[in-house]
Amino acid sequence: MAEIAQEGGGGHKKGGKVRSKKMSTRIDFTPMVDLGFLLITFFMLTTTLAKPQVMALVMPEKDIKKEDIEPVKESKVLTLLLGANDKVYWYEGITDAKLDSTDYSAEGLRKVILNKMDKVKGQFGLEDYEDFKTKEPKKGSFINVIIKPTAESRYKNLVDALDEMAICKVRYYVILDVSDLEKEFIKNPAGGLKFNVEEQIQAATQ
Amino acid sequence: MPKHKPKRGTPLIDMTAMTDVAFLLLTFFMLTAKMKPQENLVIDTPASISQTKLPESGTLTILVGKKGEIFLDMTGQHTRLELINSMNEQYQMGLTEQEKLLFTNVGSFGVPRSQLKKYLNTMPSERTKFPATGIPVDTVDVNQSELANWIHNARLAQFKMKQEGKVKEEYVMVVKADKDTPYPAVQKVINTLVDININKFNLITGLEADPNKLEGVKKEGGG
Repeated sequence: MAEIAQEGGGGHKKGGKVRSKKMSTRIDFTPMVDLGFLLITFFMLTTTLAKPQVMALVMPEKDIKKEDIEPVKESKVLTLLLGANDKVYWYEGITDAKLDSTDYSAEGLRKVILNKMDKVKGQFGLEDYEDFKTKEPKKGSFINVIIKPTAESRYKNLVDALDEMAICKVRYYVILDVSDLEKEFIKNPAGGLKFNVEEQIQAATQ
Repeated sequence: MPKHKPKRGTPLIDMTAMTDVAFLLLTFFMLTAKMKPQENLVIDTPASISQTKLPESGTLTILVGKKGEIFLDMTGQHTRLELINSMNEQYQMGLTEQEKLLFTNVGSFGVPRSQLKKYLNTMPSERTKFPATGIPVDTVDVNQSELANWIHNARLAQFKMKQEGKVKEEYVMVVKADKDTPYPAVQKVINTLVDININKFNLITGLEADPNKLEGVKKEGGG
Protein backbone atom coordinates (compact mmCIF):
# COMPACT_ATOMS: atom_id res chain seq x y z
CA MET A 1 0.00 0.00 0.00
CA ALA A 2 2.92 2.13 0.78
CA GLU A 3 4.40 1.27 -2.56
CA ILE A 4 1.22 1.98 -4.26
CA ALA A 5 0.97 5.20 -2.39
CA GLN A 6 4.56 5.99 -3.33
CA GLU A 7 3.98 5.20 -6.91
CA GLY A 8 0.93 7.19 -6.74
CA GLY A 9 3.02 9.90 -5.29
CA GLY A 10 6.01 9.33 -7.55
CA GLY A 11 4.05 9.17 -10.71
CA HIS A 12 1.96 12.06 -9.72
CA LYS A 13 3.29 14.31 -12.42
CA LYS A 14 2.63 11.73 -15.07
CA GLY A 15 -0.44 10.54 -13.25
CA GLY A 16 -1.99 13.92 -13.50
CA LYS A 17 -1.49 13.96 -17.29
CA VAL A 18 -2.47 10.32 -17.70
CA ARG A 19 -5.62 10.88 -15.79
CA SER A 20 -6.72 13.79 -17.93
CA LYS A 21 -5.90 11.81 -21.10
CA LYS A 22 -8.09 8.96 -19.90
CA MET A 23 -10.88 11.35 -19.22
CA SER A 24 -10.76 12.92 -22.67
CA THR A 25 -10.98 9.59 -24.52
CA ARG A 26 -14.70 9.56 -23.89
CA ILE A 27 -15.65 11.44 -27.07
CA ASP A 28 -19.32 11.74 -27.76
CA PHE A 29 -19.82 10.22 -31.24
CA THR A 30 -23.26 11.62 -31.90
CA PRO A 31 -22.25 14.54 -34.14
CA MET A 32 -20.09 12.24 -36.21
CA VAL A 33 -23.00 9.90 -36.82
CA ASP A 34 -25.13 12.91 -37.70
CA LEU A 35 -22.59 14.00 -40.28
CA GLY A 36 -22.32 10.50 -41.63
CA PHE A 37 -26.03 10.19 -42.21
CA LEU A 38 -26.23 13.64 -43.69
CA LEU A 39 -23.63 12.71 -46.26
CA ILE A 40 -25.39 9.43 -47.00
CA THR A 41 -28.66 11.22 -47.62
CA PHE A 42 -26.86 13.67 -49.85
CA PHE A 43 -25.33 10.96 -51.99
CA MET A 44 -28.55 8.96 -52.10
CA LEU A 45 -30.39 11.94 -53.46
CA THR A 46 -27.73 13.02 -55.93
CA THR A 47 -27.55 9.60 -57.57
CA THR A 48 -31.26 9.62 -58.28
CA LEU A 49 -31.09 13.16 -59.61
CA ALA A 50 -28.42 12.16 -62.08
CA LYS A 51 -30.91 10.22 -64.24
CA PRO A 52 -31.54 12.38 -67.26
CA GLN A 53 -34.93 13.24 -68.68
CA VAL A 54 -35.75 12.42 -72.28
CA MET A 55 -38.04 13.84 -74.91
CA ALA A 56 -39.36 11.36 -77.43
CA LEU A 57 -39.16 12.23 -81.09
CA VAL A 58 -40.76 10.37 -83.96
CA MET A 59 -39.69 11.14 -87.51
CA PRO A 60 -41.65 10.21 -90.61
CA GLU A 61 -40.31 7.26 -92.58
CA LYS A 62 -37.90 7.95 -95.38
CA ASP A 63 -39.93 6.66 -98.31
CA ILE A 64 -43.33 8.24 -98.01
CA LYS A 65 -45.44 7.89 -101.12
CA LYS A 66 -47.50 10.78 -102.42
CA GLU A 67 -50.68 8.81 -101.91
CA ASP A 68 -49.99 8.43 -98.21
CA ILE A 69 -49.79 12.14 -97.52
CA GLU A 70 -53.05 13.47 -96.15
CA PRO A 71 -53.99 16.84 -97.54
CA VAL A 72 -54.28 19.50 -94.89
CA LYS A 73 -56.26 22.71 -94.99
CA GLU A 74 -53.88 25.50 -95.77
CA SER A 75 -55.34 27.84 -93.18
CA LYS A 76 -54.52 25.41 -90.41
CA VAL A 77 -50.83 25.35 -91.18
CA LEU A 78 -48.23 27.32 -89.26
CA THR A 79 -44.66 27.09 -90.47
CA LEU A 80 -41.79 27.90 -88.15
CA LEU A 81 -38.37 28.60 -89.61
CA LEU A 82 -35.76 28.38 -86.85
CA GLY A 83 -33.13 30.94 -87.68
CA ALA A 84 -29.81 32.14 -86.37
CA ASN A 85 -29.32 33.90 -83.04
CA ASP A 86 -32.39 32.30 -81.46
CA LYS A 87 -34.83 33.93 -83.84
CA VAL A 88 -37.94 32.23 -85.14
CA TYR A 89 -39.45 33.29 -88.45
CA TRP A 90 -42.98 32.17 -89.03
CA TYR A 91 -45.72 32.37 -91.60
CA GLU A 92 -49.20 30.96 -91.96
CA GLY A 93 -50.42 28.84 -94.81
CA ILE A 94 -48.88 29.05 -98.24
CA THR A 95 -50.70 31.67 -100.31
CA ASP A 96 -49.93 35.32 -99.52
CA ALA A 97 -47.70 34.30 -96.67
CA LYS A 98 -46.26 37.13 -94.65
CA LEU A 99 -43.06 36.53 -92.79
CA ASP A 100 -42.87 37.58 -89.16
CA SER A 101 -40.26 36.90 -86.57
CA THR A 102 -40.29 36.25 -82.87
CA ASP A 103 -38.18 34.70 -80.15
CA TYR A 104 -38.47 31.71 -77.85
CA SER A 105 -39.82 33.50 -74.82
CA ALA A 106 -43.30 32.93 -73.42
CA GLU A 107 -44.45 36.17 -75.04
CA GLY A 108 -42.97 35.21 -78.36
CA LEU A 109 -43.36 31.80 -79.91
CA ARG A 110 -45.94 30.56 -77.45
CA LYS A 111 -48.20 33.52 -78.15
CA VAL A 112 -47.87 32.98 -81.88
CA ILE A 113 -48.90 29.34 -81.54
CA LEU A 114 -51.76 30.07 -79.17
CA ASN A 115 -53.03 32.86 -81.39
CA LYS A 116 -53.01 30.53 -84.35
CA MET A 117 -54.90 27.93 -82.37
CA ASP A 118 -57.52 30.51 -81.42
CA LYS A 119 -57.81 31.63 -85.03
CA VAL A 120 -58.34 28.09 -86.26
CA LYS A 121 -60.84 27.47 -83.50
CA GLY A 122 -62.74 30.55 -84.61
CA GLN A 123 -62.71 29.43 -88.22
CA PHE A 124 -63.35 25.72 -87.91
CA GLY A 125 -64.87 25.30 -84.50
CA LEU A 126 -64.30 22.19 -82.50
CA GLU A 127 -63.66 18.86 -84.15
CA ASP A 128 -64.15 15.35 -82.94
CA TYR A 129 -61.17 13.33 -82.01
CA GLU A 130 -60.33 10.37 -79.83
CA ASP A 131 -58.22 10.84 -76.75
CA PHE A 132 -54.99 8.81 -77.03
CA LYS A 133 -55.21 7.17 -73.66
CA THR A 134 -58.85 7.05 -72.72
CA LYS A 135 -60.25 6.57 -76.25
CA GLU A 136 -63.19 8.75 -75.39
CA PRO A 137 -64.52 11.07 -78.07
CA LYS A 138 -63.60 14.68 -77.42
CA LYS A 139 -63.82 17.98 -79.17
CA GLY A 140 -60.91 20.24 -79.89
CA SER A 141 -59.33 22.46 -82.47
CA PHE A 142 -56.05 21.58 -84.08
CA ILE A 143 -53.34 23.24 -86.05
CA ASN A 144 -50.57 21.69 -88.08
CA VAL A 145 -47.13 23.00 -87.34
CA ILE A 146 -44.17 22.53 -89.64
CA ILE A 147 -40.84 23.05 -87.93
CA LYS A 148 -38.00 23.79 -90.31
CA PRO A 149 -34.67 24.43 -88.64
CA THR A 150 -32.17 26.33 -90.77
CA ALA A 151 -28.49 25.58 -90.91
CA GLU A 152 -27.77 28.59 -88.73
CA SER A 153 -29.90 27.44 -85.82
CA ARG A 154 -28.59 25.47 -82.90
CA TYR A 155 -29.87 22.31 -81.26
CA LYS A 156 -31.38 24.22 -78.35
CA ASN A 157 -33.68 25.98 -80.82
CA LEU A 158 -35.08 22.68 -82.02
CA VAL A 159 -35.61 21.40 -78.49
CA ASP A 160 -37.30 24.66 -77.49
CA ALA A 161 -39.61 24.47 -80.50
CA LEU A 162 -40.52 20.86 -79.67
CA ASP A 163 -41.05 21.90 -76.08
CA GLU A 164 -43.54 24.56 -77.19
CA MET A 165 -45.41 21.83 -79.06
CA ALA A 166 -45.76 19.97 -75.79
CA ILE A 167 -46.64 23.06 -73.74
CA CYS A 168 -49.28 24.29 -76.19
CA LYS A 169 -50.48 20.73 -76.75
CA VAL A 170 -50.07 20.81 -80.51
CA ARG A 171 -50.90 17.35 -81.76
CA TYR A 172 -49.72 17.50 -85.35
CA TYR A 173 -46.23 18.69 -86.11
CA VAL A 174 -43.41 17.60 -88.37
CA ILE A 175 -39.78 18.45 -88.73
CA LEU A 176 -38.79 19.10 -92.33
CA ASP A 177 -35.83 20.55 -94.20
CA VAL A 178 -35.80 24.20 -95.17
CA SER A 179 -36.33 24.70 -98.87
CA ASP A 180 -34.36 27.16 -100.98
CA LEU A 181 -37.52 29.19 -101.51
CA GLU A 182 -37.83 29.71 -97.81
CA LYS A 183 -34.18 30.67 -97.47
CA GLU A 184 -34.87 33.39 -100.04
CA PHE A 185 -38.02 34.35 -98.20
CA ILE A 186 -36.10 34.96 -95.01
CA LYS A 187 -33.61 37.17 -96.79
CA ASN A 188 -36.32 39.00 -98.71
CA PRO A 189 -39.63 38.87 -96.86
CA ALA A 190 -41.22 41.47 -99.04
CA GLY A 191 -40.70 39.26 -102.08
CA GLY A 192 -43.37 36.88 -100.88
CA LEU A 193 -43.29 33.12 -100.94
CA LYS A 194 -43.89 31.67 -104.37
CA PHE A 195 -44.89 28.25 -103.32
CA ASN A 196 -46.07 25.59 -105.63
CA VAL A 197 -47.93 22.89 -103.76
CA GLU A 198 -46.59 20.20 -106.08
CA GLU A 199 -43.02 21.24 -105.38
CA GLN A 200 -43.72 21.20 -101.67
CA ILE A 201 -44.97 17.63 -101.80
CA GLN A 202 -42.03 16.63 -103.98
CA ALA A 203 -39.62 18.14 -101.51
CA ALA A 204 -41.25 16.23 -98.68
CA THR A 205 -41.24 12.90 -100.47
CA GLN A 206 -37.65 13.08 -101.72
CA MET B 1 -35.01 15.05 -10.43
CA PRO B 2 -34.00 11.45 -10.75
CA LYS B 3 -35.39 11.39 -14.32
CA HIS B 4 -32.82 13.94 -15.58
CA LYS B 5 -29.82 12.27 -13.97
CA PRO B 6 -29.46 9.24 -16.30
CA LYS B 7 -28.48 11.59 -19.15
CA ARG B 8 -25.00 12.10 -17.83
CA GLY B 9 -24.75 9.50 -15.11
CA THR B 10 -25.40 6.14 -16.83
CA PRO B 11 -23.01 5.22 -19.68
CA LEU B 12 -24.30 6.19 -23.10
CA ILE B 13 -24.78 3.62 -25.86
CA ASP B 14 -21.54 2.82 -27.59
CA MET B 15 -21.88 4.72 -30.88
CA THR B 16 -18.88 3.12 -32.57
CA ALA B 17 -20.93 0.47 -34.32
CA MET B 18 -23.34 3.05 -35.62
CA THR B 19 -20.57 5.21 -37.08
CA ASP B 20 -19.15 2.10 -38.72
CA VAL B 21 -22.44 1.39 -40.44
CA ALA B 22 -22.88 5.03 -41.37
CA PHE B 23 -19.50 5.24 -43.04
CA LEU B 24 -19.96 1.89 -44.75
CA LEU B 25 -23.18 3.09 -46.33
CA LEU B 26 -21.56 6.36 -47.22
CA THR B 27 -18.68 4.64 -49.00
CA PHE B 28 -21.13 2.41 -50.82
CA PHE B 29 -23.10 5.33 -52.16
CA MET B 30 -19.99 7.27 -53.07
CA LEU B 31 -18.73 4.34 -55.11
CA THR B 32 -22.04 3.54 -56.80
CA ALA B 33 -22.39 7.15 -57.80
CA LYS B 34 -19.05 6.99 -59.57
CA MET B 35 -19.89 3.91 -61.56
CA LYS B 36 -20.81 5.95 -64.64
CA PRO B 37 -18.10 5.79 -67.30
CA GLN B 38 -15.86 8.79 -67.61
CA GLU B 39 -17.36 11.49 -69.79
CA ASN B 40 -15.00 12.06 -72.67
CA LEU B 41 -17.24 14.68 -74.13
CA VAL B 42 -18.72 17.44 -72.03
CA ILE B 43 -22.29 18.03 -73.08
CA ASP B 44 -24.66 20.63 -71.71
CA THR B 45 -28.13 19.50 -72.75
CA PRO B 46 -30.96 21.96 -73.40
CA ALA B 47 -33.91 22.00 -71.02
CA SER B 48 -37.44 20.87 -71.68
CA ILE B 49 -40.58 20.24 -69.68
CA SER B 50 -40.52 16.54 -70.52
CA GLN B 51 -40.41 14.34 -67.45
CA THR B 52 -40.04 10.90 -69.01
CA LYS B 53 -37.01 9.16 -67.58
CA LEU B 54 -34.30 7.43 -69.51
CA PRO B 55 -34.46 3.64 -69.28
CA GLU B 56 -31.56 2.33 -67.22
CA SER B 57 -30.31 -0.39 -69.50
CA GLY B 58 -30.50 -1.23 -73.15
CA THR B 59 -29.65 2.20 -74.55
CA LEU B 60 -27.53 3.21 -77.48
CA THR B 61 -26.49 6.83 -77.07
CA ILE B 62 -25.29 9.09 -79.83
CA LEU B 63 -23.48 12.04 -78.30
CA VAL B 64 -22.98 15.19 -80.33
CA GLY B 65 -20.55 17.76 -79.03
CA LYS B 66 -20.46 21.52 -79.37
CA LYS B 67 -18.47 21.38 -82.58
CA GLY B 68 -20.55 18.60 -84.06
CA GLU B 69 -18.25 15.71 -83.23
CA ILE B 70 -20.13 12.46 -82.83
CA PHE B 71 -19.47 9.91 -80.11
CA LEU B 72 -21.18 6.59 -79.59
CA ASP B 73 -21.92 4.67 -76.43
CA MET B 74 -23.93 1.54 -75.78
CA THR B 75 -24.82 -0.43 -72.67
CA GLY B 76 -24.34 -4.11 -72.09
CA GLN B 77 -20.96 -5.80 -71.99
CA HIS B 78 -22.17 -8.90 -73.85
CA THR B 79 -23.54 -6.77 -76.64
CA ARG B 80 -20.38 -4.69 -76.84
CA LEU B 81 -18.28 -7.80 -77.18
CA GLU B 82 -20.56 -9.22 -79.85
CA LEU B 83 -20.52 -5.86 -81.63
CA ILE B 84 -16.74 -5.50 -81.68
CA ASN B 85 -16.39 -9.08 -82.86
CA SER B 86 -18.73 -8.56 -85.79
CA MET B 87 -17.20 -5.17 -86.67
CA ASN B 88 -13.73 -6.67 -86.50
CA GLU B 89 -14.70 -9.43 -88.90
CA GLN B 90 -16.64 -7.25 -91.29
CA TYR B 91 -14.11 -4.49 -91.63
CA GLN B 92 -10.86 -6.34 -90.94
CA MET B 93 -9.87 -4.09 -88.09
CA GLY B 94 -7.22 -6.49 -86.82
CA LEU B 95 -8.09 -6.26 -83.14
CA THR B 96 -6.63 -8.63 -80.59
CA GLU B 97 -8.75 -10.39 -77.97
CA GLN B 98 -7.40 -8.04 -75.34
CA GLU B 99 -8.36 -4.98 -77.36
CA LYS B 100 -11.84 -6.37 -77.84
CA LEU B 101 -12.16 -6.75 -74.08
CA LEU B 102 -10.96 -3.17 -73.63
CA PHE B 103 -13.73 -2.07 -75.97
CA THR B 104 -16.37 -3.53 -73.66
CA ASN B 105 -15.28 -1.16 -70.91
CA VAL B 106 -14.28 1.97 -72.75
CA GLY B 107 -17.60 3.82 -72.48
CA SER B 108 -18.21 6.37 -75.17
CA PHE B 109 -15.83 6.60 -78.12
CA GLY B 110 -15.55 9.05 -80.97
CA VAL B 111 -12.82 7.98 -83.33
CA PRO B 112 -12.85 6.74 -86.90
CA ARG B 113 -12.63 3.00 -87.33
CA SER B 114 -9.03 3.26 -88.50
CA GLN B 115 -8.01 4.87 -85.23
CA LEU B 116 -9.99 2.67 -82.88
CA LYS B 117 -7.11 0.24 -82.31
CA LYS B 118 -4.85 3.08 -81.25
CA TYR B 119 -7.53 4.59 -79.07
CA LEU B 120 -8.15 1.34 -77.22
CA ASN B 121 -4.46 1.00 -76.50
CA THR B 122 -4.07 4.40 -74.89
CA MET B 123 -4.18 4.54 -71.12
CA PRO B 124 -7.51 5.72 -69.67
CA SER B 125 -5.81 8.76 -68.20
CA GLU B 126 -4.43 9.71 -71.63
CA ARG B 127 -7.68 9.15 -73.48
CA THR B 128 -9.02 12.65 -72.90
CA LYS B 129 -6.03 14.00 -74.78
CA PHE B 130 -6.56 11.69 -77.75
CA PRO B 131 -7.67 13.77 -80.74
CA ALA B 132 -11.31 12.81 -80.80
CA THR B 133 -12.57 13.95 -84.16
CA GLY B 134 -15.74 11.96 -83.85
CA ILE B 135 -17.18 9.12 -85.85
CA PRO B 136 -17.44 10.04 -89.52
CA VAL B 137 -20.88 10.32 -91.05
CA ASP B 138 -21.37 9.87 -94.77
CA THR B 139 -24.53 11.58 -95.86
CA VAL B 140 -24.35 10.48 -99.47
CA ASP B 141 -24.14 6.72 -99.15
CA VAL B 142 -25.49 5.33 -95.90
CA ASN B 143 -23.69 2.03 -96.45
CA GLN B 144 -20.36 3.83 -96.31
CA SER B 145 -21.30 5.87 -93.28
CA GLU B 146 -19.30 4.64 -90.29
CA LEU B 147 -21.92 5.91 -87.88
CA ALA B 148 -24.64 3.96 -89.68
CA ASN B 149 -22.47 0.84 -89.66
CA TRP B 150 -21.83 1.04 -85.95
CA ILE B 151 -25.49 1.65 -85.08
CA HIS B 152 -26.79 -1.02 -87.40
CA ASN B 153 -24.36 -3.63 -86.10
CA ALA B 154 -25.02 -2.62 -82.52
CA ARG B 155 -28.73 -3.22 -83.01
CA LEU B 156 -28.04 -6.59 -84.55
CA ALA B 157 -25.73 -7.49 -81.68
CA GLN B 158 -28.32 -6.51 -79.09
CA PHE B 159 -30.98 -8.46 -80.95
CA LYS B 160 -28.73 -11.51 -80.96
CA MET B 161 -28.10 -11.15 -77.23
CA LYS B 162 -31.84 -10.91 -76.69
CA GLN B 163 -32.35 -14.13 -78.58
CA GLU B 164 -29.68 -15.76 -76.45
CA GLY B 165 -31.48 -14.50 -73.38
CA LYS B 166 -28.62 -12.35 -72.13
CA VAL B 167 -30.56 -9.12 -72.37
CA LYS B 168 -34.24 -8.40 -72.05
CA GLU B 169 -34.91 -5.51 -74.41
CA GLU B 170 -33.74 -4.25 -77.74
CA TYR B 171 -31.85 -0.99 -77.86
CA VAL B 172 -33.57 2.30 -77.20
CA MET B 173 -32.02 5.02 -79.34
CA VAL B 174 -30.89 8.08 -77.46
CA VAL B 175 -29.45 11.30 -78.81
CA LYS B 176 -27.56 13.56 -76.44
CA ALA B 177 -26.50 16.83 -77.97
CA ASP B 178 -25.20 20.06 -76.56
CA LYS B 179 -27.48 23.05 -76.65
CA ASP B 180 -25.01 24.97 -78.78
CA THR B 181 -24.47 22.20 -81.30
CA PRO B 182 -25.17 23.61 -84.75
CA TYR B 183 -28.33 22.08 -86.14
CA PRO B 184 -26.70 20.58 -89.27
CA ALA B 185 -24.68 18.20 -87.08
CA VAL B 186 -27.83 16.94 -85.37
CA GLN B 187 -29.59 16.82 -88.72
CA LYS B 188 -26.89 14.46 -90.02
CA VAL B 189 -27.45 12.14 -87.08
CA ILE B 190 -31.24 12.20 -87.48
CA ASN B 191 -30.98 11.59 -91.23
CA THR B 192 -28.60 8.68 -90.64
CA LEU B 193 -31.07 7.14 -88.21
CA VAL B 194 -34.01 7.58 -90.56
CA ASP B 195 -31.96 6.09 -93.40
CA ILE B 196 -31.42 2.89 -91.43
CA ASN B 197 -35.11 2.80 -90.54
CA ILE B 198 -34.92 4.09 -87.00
CA ASN B 199 -37.78 6.55 -86.64
CA LYS B 200 -38.27 6.68 -82.90
CA PHE B 201 -35.60 8.06 -80.65
CA ASN B 202 -35.22 10.03 -77.47
CA LEU B 203 -33.49 13.33 -76.95
CA ILE B 204 -31.85 13.87 -73.58
CA THR B 205 -32.89 17.13 -71.98
CA GLY B 206 -32.53 18.84 -68.66
CA LEU B 207 -35.63 19.49 -66.61
CA GLU B 208 -37.45 22.79 -66.50
CA ALA B 209 -40.78 23.76 -65.03
CA ASP B 210 -43.96 23.33 -67.05
CA PRO B 211 -45.45 26.82 -67.44
CA ASN B 212 -48.98 25.38 -67.62
CA LYS B 213 -48.59 23.87 -64.19
CA LEU B 214 -47.01 27.03 -62.83
CA GLU B 215 -49.95 29.09 -64.03
CA GLY B 216 -52.35 26.65 -62.47
CA VAL B 217 -50.62 27.04 -59.14
CA LYS B 218 -50.65 30.81 -59.44
CA LYS B 219 -54.36 30.84 -60.25
CA GLU B 220 -55.13 28.62 -57.31
CA GLY B 221 -53.02 30.78 -55.06
CA GLY B 222 -54.71 33.97 -56.23
CA GLY B 223 -58.26 32.59 -56.18
